[in-house]
Amino acid sequence: MASLAAKGISKVFEDGFQALTDIDLVVEPGEFVTLLGPSGCGKTTLLKTLAGFYDATTGTIEIGGTDVTAAPPEKRDTAMCFQSYALFPHLTVAENIDFGPRQAGVPKAERRDRLEGLLRQVDLEAHRDKLPNRLSGGQQQRVALARALAMRPAVVLFDEPLSNLDAKLREQVRREIRALQKEIGFTAIYVTHDQSEALAMSDRVVVMQGGRIDQVGRPEEIYARPETAFVADFIGAANLVPFEDMGGGRVKTPLGDLRAAVPPAGNATFICWRPEDVELVEAGAASENVIRGVVRDRAYQGAHTELHVATGDADLGLQRLHVAGAAPAEGAEVAFRLGADQIRFVRGALT
Amino acid sequence: MVSLSDTAPVASRRPRRPAFRRFTISNVLIAILLLVCVIWLVVPFGMAVLWSLLDPSVRWEYPDVLPPALSFARWIEVWNTTSLPMALRNSYILAPTVAVTTLILASPTAYAFARYDFPGKGAAQVLTLLPLVIPGFVLAIFFSALIFSLGIYSRFLSILLAHSVLFLPYAIRLMTVAFSNVRLDLVDAARDLGASPWARFRVAYWPALAPGILASLIIVFIQSIEEFAVAFVVGAPNFTTIPSILYSYLGYNFVRPNAAVVSLVLVIPNVLLMLGLERLLKSANPAQTGVKG
Repeated sequence: MASLAAKGISKVFEDGFQALTDIDLVVEPGEFVTLLGPSGCGKTTLLKTLAGFYDATTGTIEIGGTDVTAAPPEKRDTAMCFQSYALFPHLTVAENIDFGPRQAGVPKAERRDRLEGLLRQVDLEAHRDKLPNRLSGGQQQRVALARALAMRPAVVLFDEPLSNLDAKLREQVRREIRALQKEIGFTAIYVTHDQSEALAMSDRVVVMQGGRIDQVGRPEEIYARPETAFVADFIGAANLVPFEDMGGGRVKTPLGDLRAAVPPAGNATFICWRPEDVELVEAGAASENVIRGVVRDRAYQGAHTELHVATGDADLGLQRLHVAGAAPAEGAEVAFRLGADQIRFVRGALT
Repeated sequence: MVSLSDTAPVASRRPRRPAFRRFTISNVLIAILLLVCVIWLVVPFGMAVLWSLLDPSVRWEYPDVLPPALSFARWIEVWNTTSLPMALRNSYILAPTVAVTTLILASPTAYAFARYDFPGKGAAQVLTLLPLVIPGFVLAIFFSALIFSLGIYSRFLSILLAHSVLFLPYAIRLMTVAFSNVRLDLVDAARDLGASPWARFRVAYWPALAPGILASLIIVFIQSIEEFAVAFVVGAPNFTTIPSILYSYLGYNFVRPNAAVVSLVLVIPNVLLMLGLERLLKSANPAQTGVKG
């Protein structure tokens, strides 16, 4: 039985704005699913619809096998970690964590066990009697998580929980959340606009754009086999080039004629390749899939050097290459080869 | 550790400078503030105390810095010969009723101002402040006419209505701030954690509203206790409040010591209330702290 199943969800706000269109999403028990997309893509609206703060205009939501489409948030077996943490400022850490179980009428002994267990798990035993404003941002985040977990919910919903933390702390708290999730085994739906967060934490990533789901998959699939131009561009860096199908995997592009290992699907609009998937070759090398250009710009990134290369077609813009080791200087003429199996076809338009 | 002992002489010299600067600026400012307090508050208050305790058998005139003889005779006289006991009862029944009525009337408006955007909101907010700029006597004269033509003959009810209108601006302002201090994410969090409407109010609304409610109650209470124009025009001569008695000592039969007694009766509870308000507002502080990263 799935922890959460949403079918055909759409959401139209009173002012007529359609925030969600035809969302289907099934989350298995113990799974960590990320809703990823740029701001305004509907990911937070979807999360709030799942939590019950918004009513879905169409579609059904099941949580733990029960239809909760019409249930208010307090009747749904979900618990939310808010972007602002939303800790009750006049209650201590322990009182905050205990709030949900107390409301639910959980017996006292059971409540104490949950509280002690959670305080230990989020490592806040020393701070149990402090008010939230005496804690650091990372600690407040952990209190919020413990408070949500104290409900023993079927699904924990995270609304960009790390966006108020600085970069270093964000990475640490991210690891903590993931470690706790694996330890306790709770089911999580996690909203973020940070693709590296999504790739690092998730079992599956749901990429959203314009109120629709573009692609769902494991992080590796999303990165290595993007299905749309939007996903390719949003997750990591990608070079997207229009093409003309010549049949048998051969394509005509502004970069020259290329051969892909797999022929394009009928609705494909671009070829896509990752900057790190290239191999620099001798300028004179005559081989298939070799592209020539001039280095316009070069940025040393430590592990690799990012080159922006102008190819023959000026309208196309610069191609991005990641080269390990010694990289050519600015102004140098370079030739690089794309492996036939590294050329992917994606559909959809560039936004 | 080694470097600490190396720099110790420097470290010991450093703190002296800000201390010196603090002396020159803040201390002078504090001294000025104290002086202003003394001139504006302590001196009049002290004078009132001394005047009220002046023994009727002696006079306090120019060369004497302090009264020649002190006694409670004036207090006893005022208590026995005027309607002060009744005025006290009237005022202390009226003012709390006004405070509660005003709060109840102000809250829906304040909630709308804090939570909703609607056309004409700015104009509405200015309109609710209008009673503040109308002189009390102007309001009193026309309000009494209105009250009688409406057939309301209860003096208590009339003053209650007039005071509520008069002091609504304070309550609306304070409650607007209080309602905008209610954090919606806390309301959502409480719902999400399964809280009943009552529990939601307790945990998300009350901590933010409490200081505003208390401030509104106390400020309106004090205003109502001290208000003279309406209470006099609408209430006299049947319904006496403390300020009416105070004003009766001014004008032709000006008796300074007796006026001092009534002033103190009027002022002391208010000062105590204000100090209490200060405390309550301070202790309610954590409810208003936001989230920092």
